[in-house]
Amino acid sequence: MTMTSWKRLAPVALAGVVFASVPLPAAAQTPIKIGASMSVTGTYAKPGTYQKQGYDVCIDELNAKGGLLGRKVELVIYDDQSTPATAVRLYEKLITEDKVDAVMGPYSSAVSEAVANVTEKYKKVMVAPLAATTSIFKKGRKYIFMVITPAENYLDGLIDMAAKRGLKTVAIINEDTLFPKASASGTAEAAKKKGMQVVLQEAYPKGNTDFSALLVKIKAANPDVIAAGTYFDDAVAITRQMKELNVNPKMFGLTVGGDLPEFYDLLKQNAEYVYGSTQWDESLPYPGQKEFLAAYKAKFKGQEPSYHTAAGYAGCLIYAEAVKKAGTLDADKVRDQLLKMEIRTAFGDYKIEPDGFQIAHKMVMLQWQDGKRIVVWPDDLSNGKPRYPTPEWSKR
Amino acid sequence: MGVLITPSMIGQVVISGLLAGSLYAMVALGLGLIFGVMRVLNVAHGPLLMMGAYTTFWLFQWIGFNPYLSLLVSMPLLFLVGVALQRFLVRRVVDAPELSSLLLTFGVSIALVNLAQLAFTSDLRAVEYLTGSFVVGPFALSKPRLATCGFAIAITLGAFVFLRSTRLGKAIRAVSQSREVAQVCGIDVQRIHLITFGLGSALAAAGGSLVAVMVAIQPEMGQVYTFKSFLVIVLGGAGNYPGALLGGLLLGLVEQLASLFLTSQVNEAVAYVLLVVVLLIRPTGLLKGRV
Repeated sequence: MTMTSWKRLAPVALAGVVFASVPLPAAAQTPIKIGASMSVTGTYAKPGTYQKQGYDVCIDELNAKGGLLGRKVELVIYDDQSTPATAVRLYEKLITEDKVDAVMGPYSSAVSEAVANVTEKYKKVMVAPLAATTSIFKKGRKYIFMVITPAENYLDGLIDMAAKRGLKTVAIINEDTLFPKASASGTAEAAKKKGMQVVLQEAYPKGNTDFSALLVKIKAANPDVIAAGTYFDDAVAITRQMKELNVNPKMFGLTVGGDLPEFYDLLKQNAEYVYGSTQWDESLPYPGQKEFLAAYKAKFKGQEPSYHTAAGYAGCLIYAEAVKKAGTLDADKVRDQLLKMEIRTAFGDYKIEPDGFQIAHKMVMLQWQDGKRIVVWPDDLSNGKPRYPTPEWSKR
Repeated sequence: MGVLITPSMIGQVVISGLLAGSLYAMVALGLGLIFGVMRVLNVAHGPLLMMGAYTTFWLFQWIGFNPYLSLLVSMPLLFLVGVALQRFLVRRVVDAPELSSLLLTFGVSIALVNLAQLAFTSDLRAVEYLTGSFVVGPFALSKPRLATCGFAIAITLGAFVFLRSTRLGKAIRAVSQSREVAQVCGIDVQRIHLITFGLGSALAAAGGSLVAVMVAIQPEMGQVYTFKSFLVIVLGGAGNYPGALLGGLLLGLVEQLASLFLTSQVNEAVAYVLLVVVLLIRPTGLLKGRV
């Protein structure tokens, strides 16, 4: 070996000696692999992609702060095409083939419900940031943890505002899948508690594009309020067809879809006055909010985060926090921490019951006003007043 | 909690059903044409419709092109895509057992949807061009659906006139009735196949351009129209072109009336039950035979 090549190799050799003798720094150890499936394509592509961005920002932040337990963190994500069956297969693969160290939840209640069976089977802690259906957490599962407010409470704000204004009747419609169904039944219950009458309650199949007949029935029932348990494309279609069929409630609120920036992009002025419920808004005064928004906007230029992003981000941070407190990745020890932790993140409060059910996080209601999402409920978090009543379509 | 159903509600729903049905008829005519002439069930029919919708969307997005005028672009464009599909792929399975053509077009369908996902992402798109409705007495006539219906009827009639009266149209019908005899009479069957697949695709594209104004556009929007088109041509009588019109309108009506009298959840079930009943009573479809 020549002298020059020795010179080149010397630092490497030296480094090898040093590494062998001291505890390994973060970079040299194998990274902690966190796996998840995400609805990057299919019906839930939009919110799914937002959630994935939240995970990305969280992982970057963890790594910038030196990783987790001194190891770098790496995300392994596959596309579940918005179908529970595919997601089940992917979580099996993540856990048994890719041998990930931890998993995070997928998008939507339906997919979370399906994969929870897999993660329970392998005793993997799964913080499920976008699973909002109560029943998922009431089946005696031990390793799934809820971050967001349950589906049943999504439209509490709408009903509360309506009742305060003396409105008496409500029509409730929903996509016939797990989450919208739960939010519809929760809304019906909230309405009855406030003394309002549910004049029509009906579900429609996933993928429905023509709501004429349903809206004709609603128009005949002439409710003060229309509450819809929607995802996104149905939210857009219903709003459009309400205009086409000239259906004019005093308030019209949506669960998912109404809160997304794309809702306004697609519908333009027709989105005005529509109420959307959201788990989070960037105007809310939560700790770490500014840092989160700055990191997001630096990474995804020209885009705006949605609550899915914030929930994904917070869910990942909550898991990381529990791991830090437990000092290990061991599922049972991390679980103990998740059960007793109380934490406030950029997404709001986290505190759960022993079955993993979220009890601290709060919803807010938004209304589209001049192209902006204004928080109109609850009063202590709002940054504007609702524009009430919603004028007839011909007068907008 | 039920709502009392009044005659004006039924009227409104019948209007909606007919408006929707005219579109189904036009799209299904494209599928029926290809099946009638080549005995090929084109599972990629819906994805071709989706491509028509994207053509309209991008023209609208980039240069503010009128979505209805974009029919003049999407139909010729997808005609060419159809011709290319026929020339390079479908031609190979025309005489093979029907399963081969199903598998092939199923593959094409998956490829088209995934290409669209890659090229356009799965973001929902919309052409916000015409919204609202004309109010006539107790009825609201949706402007975009009315326009869609008008264009669909015009295009469907145009296609009928073309098939009935032009030399090329007659040649297409001749090939669909008996390929051998047509060949003996000097008709270039391969060429007719190319044109037929092109026409079928153009009709799907027209459907895409017209729904673009009404529903959200995304790569998987087409599949539902494949199924509806199957339903329509079987209802109407496979290979019978006026049957497609009848089947389309019937499907539109049944879907809407089922949603009104029962619930939205069962409208598809009712449509398929109708299909089974029709097949039991008239296995050849409502209008049998071929044109």
